[in-house]
Amino acid sequence: MTQSADRLTSPAKRNGKSALTVLASNHYVLTALSAIAFIALWQIVSMNVSPVILPSPGNVAAAFVELTASGELIRATGQTIWPFAIGLSVAFVIGTSLGLVLGIFRPAARILDPYIFIFWSIPNIAWLPLFIAWFGVGQLTLIIFVFVSAVFPQLLTVEAGAKEADSFLVEVARSLGGTKSEILHIVVLPAALPYIFAGLRIAVGRALVGIIVGQLLIVATGIGYMFQFYGETLSLAKYFAPLIVIAALAVALNRAVNWAEQLLIPWKSRAFT
Amino acid sequence: MPELDFVNVRKSYQSPTGENLLALADFSLKVDGGRFVSVVGPSGCGKTTLLRMAAGLVPWDGGEIRLDGDELTGPSPKMSMVFQAIGLMPWKSVQSNVALGIQLQAHRRKLTAEETAHVGATLAMVGLKGFEHYYPHQLSGGMQQRVGLARALVRHPEILLMDEPFGALDAQTRAVLQDELLNLWGRVKSTVLFITHDLDEAIYLSDLVVIMGRRPGRIKQVLEVKLPRPRYSYDARAEPEFAHLRSIAWQSIKEEL
Repeated sequence: MTQSADRLTSPAKRNGKSALTVLASNHYVLTALSAIAFIALWQIVSMNVSPVILPSPGNVAAAFVELTASGELIRATGQTIWPFAIGLSVAFVIGTSLGLVLGIFRPAARILDPYIFIFWSIPNIAWLPLFIAWFGVGQLTLIIFVFVSAVFPQLLTVEAGAKEADSFLVEVARSLGGTKSEILHIVVLPAALPYIFAGLRIAVGRALVGIIVGQLLIVATGIGYMFQFYGETLSLAKYFAPLIVIAALAVALNRAVNWAEQLLIPWKSRAFT
Repeated sequence: MPELDFVNVRKSYQSPTGENLLALADFSLKVDGGRFVSVVGPSGCGKTTLLRMAAGLVPWDGGEIRLDGDELTGPSPKMSMVFQAIGLMPWKSVQSNVALGIQLQAHRRKLTAEETAHVGATLAMVGLKGFEHYYPHQLSGGMQQRVGLARALVRHPEILLMDEPFGALDAQTRAVLQDELLNLWGRVKSTVLFITHDLDEAIYLSDLVVIMGRRPGRIKQVLEVKLPRPRYSYDARAEPEFAHLRSIAWQSIKEEL
């Protein structure tokens, strides 16, 4: 943290550049400026088109406050977050452990990989009628749908990572007397860690799509249903409120994954910061 | 003193086209305890294979490798190997990488306080005091190989197996590390089997230089280096004896190229 802050400010100071240049090179200032420009552009466009095409930022903000105050948005967010979190967590645990096992025990992978690939290549949505027939219309089906959306990218990415463990490092550990389980712990798992995070990033995105589609088509609740309801009734200002919630959730989750990655993988030299 | 004995060792490889390639045919070499023995030879002569077999990393097809008279069956805790590509775990700090030398030998996750102190002392011995918490990618190639050396020495090996350990370093760093290796060897008194393709390096470091012929690997000539030690205390490379040995060795190797 301090390192990157130093890099941003001190060279400018050393070269005697103006305060404006220093300000412009600051990440937070840039973010704020781009947000202001975006909202201004939105305002200008919305003033020139019908509110049914694009509501103004002010109307969207008012609708957001109204839906929050009435409790509708908060209730919908709650209905969305729980099945999302459960489905994603189970997918993460199962995808990661199965991915590690298949990455290491290649004979098992040679048998299972074709099935995994077939299930993965079928579009998720095609499973829905079957899941509804098997598990009924309810939370369980929703959670299973989120799980199926997220588990395959997690599994396949982790499997690819574990498979690629450096054979030379394995040999070094063997020469020092390491047993199979020690080698797994010292060489294979740390090598797979960046892949676990890469998989998680994709899984989060897939799970978000899964929960919205699932709420639209299975249970008619939560954020997904708000999209449908306000979209069909052409209440566009209100339609934007759940959109903001989903975008905020996606950004927050991505930040959390980045943060955890920096914390757990301090050894990586990063080419681009 | 520990000694390493290769008796009629035979090793063949399957080539990609399915042919049987004989890498070593009835290879015999006795590395006497406490000596510094280098093996040089043209590339592909099987010198690295020799070391990897001694380290217990690859099996051999016939003959025996004995350590202090006992037949070798796998990686031995009495030996440590230093690799040209070093092989530090990128996710472990310098200190943790060196600690692996003890952990994997003892099959324990945690070191005792005494062992931790020994890791620190070994790092100081190779000149890395103050770098305990660095990650490998933050070190230069020469410093990384110092860590590799510390990881080998921390186990108190009776025999040090070194596979072109300085081959990837620049000339200055290599010269510095050669001197430091001689200095360390004078202190730890282990037996060293050193593989290199650099004749000067072999003569400068060793008591015996074993010259191998091309495949299938066999011993062509053994040179004894009688230059007094410690060789870093004077300019050993400038001695007439050094030039003489170098010329003999080069003639011998040239015939094999």
